[in-house]
Amino acid sequence: MDGREAEKPMLILKDIHKFYGNNEVIKGVSLEVKRGELVTFVGPSGCGKTTLLRLIGGFTDITSGDIILDGRRINDLPPNLRDTRICFQNYALFPHMTVAENVGYGLKVNKWPKEKIAARVKELLEMVELGAFGERMIDKLSGGQQQRVAFARALSLEPKVLLLDEPLSNLDANLRLVMREEIRKLQERLHITTVFVTHDQFEAMAISDRLVVMKNGLIEQVGSPIEIYEKPANEFIAAFVGYVNFMDGRIESVEQTTRNTVVSTAYGKFEITLEQDDIRTGDEVLMVIRPESVNLSIDCKRSGKNILCGNLKTYMYAGSLAKCTVMIGDKKMIIDQYNPRDAKHFKHAEKVEVEIPRSVHLLKKKL
Amino acid sequence: MATAELSLKLQSGSGSKVRDFLNANLINILAAILFLLLAFFLLYPILAVLIKSVWGPDGFTAKYYYSFFSKKYYFQSLSNTLLLGMINTVVCLVVGFCLAYMTTRGPWILRKPLKIISLVPLIAPPYLFALSLIILFGRNGLVTRMFDLQWQLYGFTGVVISQTLAFIPLAFMMIESTLMSLNPNLEESAYDMGASEATILRTITIPLLAPGLLKAALLIFVMTIAEFGNAAILAGRTPFLAPDTYTMITGESDFNMGSVLSVVLIAPCILIFFVHNVLLEGKKFTTIGGKPVASEPRKITPLIKVPFMIVTIVAAGAIFICFAVVVASSFYKILGVTNKFIFSNYLDFTSNQAIYNSIRVSFVAAVIGAIIGVLLSYVIVRGKFFGRTFIEMVSLSGFALPGTVLGIGYLLAFSAPPLKLTGGIMILALNCVFRFLAVGVEAGISKLHQIHIEIEEASADLGASFLTTFFRIVLPIMFPAFIAGFIYTFMTAIVSLSAVVFLVSPGFQLAAVKIFDSAVYGEIGIASATTVKLILIVMLCMAILNFISKKTKVGSSMSRKGVA
Repeated sequence: MDGREAEKPMLILKDIHKFYGNNEVIKGVSLEVKRGELVTFVGPSGCGKTTLLRLIGGFTDITSGDIILDGRRINDLPPNLRDTRICFQNYALFPHMTVAENVGYGLKVNKWPKEKIAARVKELLEMVELGAFGERMIDKLSGGQQQRVAFARALSLEPKVLLLDEPLSNLDANLRLVMREEIRKLQERLHITTVFVTHDQFEAMAISDRLVVMKNGLIEQVGSPIEIYEKPANEFIAAFVGYVNFMDGRIESVEQTTRNTVVSTAYGKFEITLEQDDIRTGDEVLMVIRPESVNLSIDCKRSGKNILCGNLKTYMYAGSLAKCTVMIGDKKMIIDQYNPRDAKHFKHAEKVEVEIPRSVHLLKKKL
Repeated sequence: MATAELSLKLQSGSGSKVRDFLNANLINILAAILFLLLAFFLLYPILAVLIKSVWGPDGFTAKYYYSFFSKKYYFQSLSNTLLLGMINTVVCLVVGFCLAYMTTRGPWILRKPLKIISLVPLIAPPYLFALSLIILFGRNGLVTRMFDLQWQLYGFTGVVISQTLAFIPLAFMMIESTLMSLNPNLEESAYDMGASEATILRTITIPLLAPGLLKAALLIFVMTIAEFGNAAILAGRTPFLAPDTYTMITGESDFNMGSVLSVVLIAPCILIFFVHNVLLEGKKFTTIGGKPVASEPRKITPLIKVPFMIVTIVAAGAIFICFAVVVASSFYKILGVTNKFIFSNYLDFTSNQAIYNSIRVSFVAAVIGAIIGVLLSYVIVRGKFFGRTFIEMVSLSGFALPGTVLGIGYLLAFSAPPLKLTGGIMILALNCVFRFLAVGVEAGISKLHQIHIEIEEASADLGASFLTTFFRIVLPIMFPAFIAGFIYTFMTAIVSLSAVVFLVSPGFQLAAVKIFDSAVYGEIGIASATTVKLILIVMLCMAILNFISKKTKVGSSMSRKGVA
């Protein structure tokens, strides 16, 4: 593979639409997935993420648009002729076959010779650390082991794109963390282009190169986990990838060179560093204040820039963090205090000081 | 239950000891009463048949069995019956599979109509097919006369064809439900791995459905060999066990031989029951469940599609034609012979009298059946006493027993004092109650499984006695199951023939028996009209049931009917 080849996207979706009867579930989705990239479709249930995955896999016909896999249009190919392999949410392991038979199923129906199947199955099972489990029946495996078998089976034919439909949702919380690390490690090692579907935004952020946030059959934003979290494109995304405090405001001034910006709100004026170019003096904006970005201290003695005075309503200590509710006038703010060393004092505090950071992200209000 | 009993004890300080005892043991007392009823109306008649088969005028004897196994005629009868069962089973399974495959995997547009046509025979008495075959291919049949054919409908062929058509819906229902329960992702995974449609069928679908298919096959086999109507109408001189039993009793009054024939008919049922349990032991495949969704249509290869479509269309067409022909024939004295459109078939007095009697019997049966069904299901699900599974087994067994057995059994058991019931409406009603009890019990059990015992415990915890809890909490929740049991018993009772044919008295005719008699005596028009009337009644019941199940969601449990 030469350099130019490597830069060509592995998977291209061009203006995909999908109707079920009169119901449009995918409303024009375009996306490019690079070679070796792990891209995650994430969104609330019913956003069309699983449908999109099934469209790529060929289990559902697209109504219009194009799916291009490695430079080849695959719209009309059935799943068995597409170089994509899917791993279903429920694993869909064949319960009447052993682990080895499951993993080797694709090789067998593709008429591989017996010895080669055996060798490949062995290699795959060792890869997912199930080398000794080949002769087991599926129902004698734990959930995590079943997950690995499904993964190995999907990889058996070395697909160009691996499709993972909520693969971790049937595992308990701890195992989920372990498995997502393992999947990511394997994916990076094999450099296999992967489309991952989940409704869990934290899982999505942890595992992906890029996130595709979807809502109502449309892509809301595509970006790296950091971009999505720190620079959400709109209110929906900001709220979807974690808790957020919104505050209405208006741009009072923008200093052109330093990008020092003053936002005036009903609770006072804030100085921040503006990142966007499309926000100007006089614009109505929404401040996106993440709970963990705010500094909280006892008492309300300082006065200064970006400092607000509030009443501490609740203080829920949970070890590594304390969740606080602070009322600033009639405005309720949720604040996460990590490493809460002063918990004893906060428990009894009434007045608190809230410091809004300069890095607050602004959303321009649509008129 | 333990908590319920505990709380019952806690709040019993003020009550008398007798009341406390009743409160704590009511469910057991209820179970005992119900068991006595089952023993008396279900086990005793069966026992009576067994005893009659080995008890001659001079006491115990095996001569009747010896006679059965030594005479060529009986051997013929047995082998015909078994052969009929096997052919029927295979054909029904193949057709049912094709139909179910199309309604669950085929194109969306075909699914609904195919499903309706496949299920339509359920609303008709099974002997409708015998009737329509006579109309089409009988000695004076439409097709026979049109092409001046020289064939013989009466005999093995006729019975096989009519039985097959009659049992397609059952096969379809059972196979469809197993196909639906199969996680579509399994087949999709195989498809994704590069397997063709035929390979998926061979390596995934059929192996995974095998237990369900086997279960369907066994049930169909048992039910076809026991089915009476079609064979009795179309067998002609070919012997089959079920109609032979009838002639043995009504023609020759030979209760001993009749009992032997019945026992021989039960034997395969029991054998198959055990085979089924042994074969399916530990054969249940468990997988991690996702959300079960309807399979999206696949691009089915013509190699599979064409034969499946042919089978499907032939079967659906045959069913449709049979219905159409009976409806048409109800407006002629004999369709194809006298071509004058008449309405008098519908006004026939004896037919309407029979319909009226049938409604009365079925209504009484439905009331009693629904009550006993609800109570039994409660006792089976919530009871903690010894022999609970036995009660469940007995109460569900009536469904699988050949009707002729319970017919003769009731004749033997209840025709002499102290309990002389013959000649009245009660013997017919009770017979229907205990034959079709399975339906009501199943409905009740599945409804009860949806109710957490905590609801009853909460009631008891708040101080309610067992009776209060039962009447205020359990019964209202069970009401949909009661209604379902009621209507199902009614529907099944009104078309059933095989047992009541032994029990009707000359002065008290039933619709099913009237159709049977008319068909045998060649009064095809009246037989058809009576059938159509029965179909209309059943359709009305179905509509009511549908309405109720939409309101209460109890209907889904009804699809298990065939499994009973």
